[in-house]
Amino acid sequence: MVETGKRIAPYVFISPFLILFAVFGLFPILYSITISFFKWTLAGPQDFRGIQNYISLLTTDPFFIGSLKTTFILLVFGSLLQHVFAIPLAIVLNDQKVKGRGFFKIMYFLPYITSTVVIALVFNQLYEQNYGWFNFIIENWLGLEGVKWIQNPGAIKASIAIMVNWRFIGWNTIIYLAGLQAIDKVLYEAAEIDGATGFRKHWHVTVPLLLPIIFFAVSMSIIGGMQLFEEPFVLMKGYETMGGPSNAGLTSAYYLLGTGFNFNRFGKASAIAWILFAIIMAMTWMNKVVTDRLQR
Amino acid sequence: MKKLVFLLTVAVAAGLLFVGCSGKKEQTAAADMPSFDPEKEYVVSIGAYGDLEKAYKAVMDTDDFKSTFPNVTVEFQTADFGGHHSRLTTVLAAGEATNDIEALEVGYIAKFVEGGGLTDLAAAPYNGVEVGKNIVDFAMSNATTSDGALVAMPVDIAPAVLFYRQSLVDEAGVSLENLESWDEFIEVGKKLVADRDGDGETDQFAIPNANEVAMTPLAGGKGGWFQDGKPLEPKEKFTKALTVVKKIREAGIDGDLGAWTGPWTQSFADGTVAATINGAWFGGALKTWIATDLSGDWRATRLPGDTLAALGGTYLSIPAEVPDEQKAVAWELIKYLTTSSNAQLTTFETIDAFPALTTVFDDPIMNEPVEYFGGQKVRQLYAEIAREIPNAAVSEYDAAILSVFGNAITDVLVNDASVEESYQTALNSVLAIAD
Repeated sequence: MVETGKRIAPYVFISPFLILFAVFGLFPILYSITISFFKWTLAGPQDFRGIQNYISLLTTDPFFIGSLKTTFILLVFGSLLQHVFAIPLAIVLNDQKVKGRGFFKIMYFLPYITSTVVIALVFNQLYEQNYGWFNFIIENWLGLEGVKWIQNPGAIKASIAIMVNWRFIGWNTIIYLAGLQAIDKVLYEAAEIDGATGFRKHWHVTVPLLLPIIFFAVSMSIIGGMQLFEEPFVLMKGYETMGGPSNAGLTSAYYLLGTGFNFNRFGKASAIAWILFAIIMAMTWMNKVVTDRLQR
Repeated sequence: MKKLVFLLTVAVAAGLLFVGCSGKKEQTAAADMPSFDPEKEYVVSIGAYGDLEKAYKAVMDTDDFKSTFPNVTVEFQTADFGGHHSRLTTVLAAGEATNDIEALEVGYIAKFVEGGGLTDLAAAPYNGVEVGKNIVDFAMSNATTSDGALVAMPVDIAPAVLFYRQSLVDEAGVSLENLESWDEFIEVGKKLVADRDGDGETDQFAIPNANEVAMTPLAGGKGGWFQDGKPLEPKEKFTKALTVVKKIREAGIDGDLGAWTGPWTQSFADGTVAATINGAWFGGALKTWIATDLSGDWRATRLPGDTLAALGGTYLSIPAEVPDEQKAVAWELIKYLTTSSNAQLTTFETIDAFPALTTVFDDPIMNEPVEYFGGQKVRQLYAEIAREIPNAAVSEYDAAILSVFGNAITDVLVNDASVEESYQTALNSVLAIAD
């Protein structure tokens, strides 16, 4: 009797989480596979479609294919570009000679913890075509023609990328800073004795030792970038605009939510979710293969 | 891998079984519906947005309401415009409990009309079509599905008019009354453009933004996107709308101000614009908060070319998941709010939401001169237009098409796309999503 009790005790202890996770996490996730095989509207399932939702999304739906392109462009210029800035920034902040490091750390991290609503308000003012601050600077100080930040398709992508970079560079900087602090200073001293200076020191010591952290941070960026929603959504003002002219700001996650909650096509939306899941898995795996090879 | 495939198969099979077993609630047969009992105590909840709560509370404070519904208590769940509609979408999709009555804005009605989740009010015991026989036709038509179900009752409407400032029009020596076409409007509009402070930059425009004209040739864009099952047909209707917008921008008579931004709101009070096109409710907004100091200066007239459109409007619905007993009382309340002159006029007086009920159009209050509009009988004008607005069939794709067409307008306006090009892009997109 006691034996049985002992055996099941651990399961009883972990059951509160497991039950909640099964009901509110696992069940909806798996159920969405089923939904993805139907034409599913507000009134529930209409027709069984098999994999038709997947096929039409991948072959004929111009919004989905366009949204994937937009997502990849923003992934490169929004999410991955951050690391090019974040690593050097972290190295500078890690330098003991820099004064007020605490202050800078807080400043860089602030955008990450700022509410999206506030960010939307501020950036909408900055980007406003006629009265915005950016165009004020461009027109009055630089004497150039103002940019249609949230109306011109190319500018829309740039606007979103700027916002994403601004928001997440600080977050990545803090992650890299933590990674840098774990690198033994002895290694730098050894490199100096070997004659390495400035850039070479970091290229041969910092970067290789930071690889696991880079893998983690880049993976997070890929996952976050492929699910990019909030920034384009608030900047382009909701589902109704579908990412603005030429759907320039329509990312896949934005299209997913719009398909579900604006067009009421929950089956198609679930199919989008699973396609995105497959892409994210594949990219994360590729990232792992590349980092593993570099670490060898 | 085998294990994973097996697990996924089991999950999908279980899901399919679940779908088969769950099924949504069917509408109860008329004979089995409990009827409203005036002696019984009821608590009814209404999901509302904007200042609807204020209006309906005013209705509920009237003696007429209190004597009709002595035992009914009403509770409100009010949210902002977007929040209210996204909550409603979510709860309807999930088949969750909702309020007994849910308000819908006209822009969202199409989505719910064919989407399902709302009680068919045309069926017995409601017989909504008969109950709503005195409600303006176009509004009833907007709430009717292709197979004749009535998913909501219109409570207020917003006939579109051209608002203009008499003083600025006089100064320019023109008139905006009885314009025969949008081309004529553009010609007159050019004379309203001015540089008042002489700094070399235009600071007075005819209207705030060309895109506000975009939906009016399309009767407000609420429905009417299909003809014989073909989207964006007849083509001329849509290309004409895009052309008007493009011409206005090219003529330089609009201020390119984004709707509801600070400069846009201010433009009505500080003389930046001489006119604007909007639903009747906008007259109330001008009077109460946007341009309070300009009493007596604003006027309203018919749109150029006698274009008829509605820009706004509210509907009341009963979600399908509401218990039958609550449906009975909810329907009585909806009937009262939509078809009693007391409720319709009180709503109008409280928040300027124009009545959908045609019988109140003859009420003396509708014939009163309105001081804010220089003594003009604007309510008569709104009523006349309301009666003439044509019916338009709505479809489940309207929300998607509205998005697509909205972007076509921006492309024409901002990105120098040609009308033909934008129309084709929009059509291709619509064909791709209409499944």
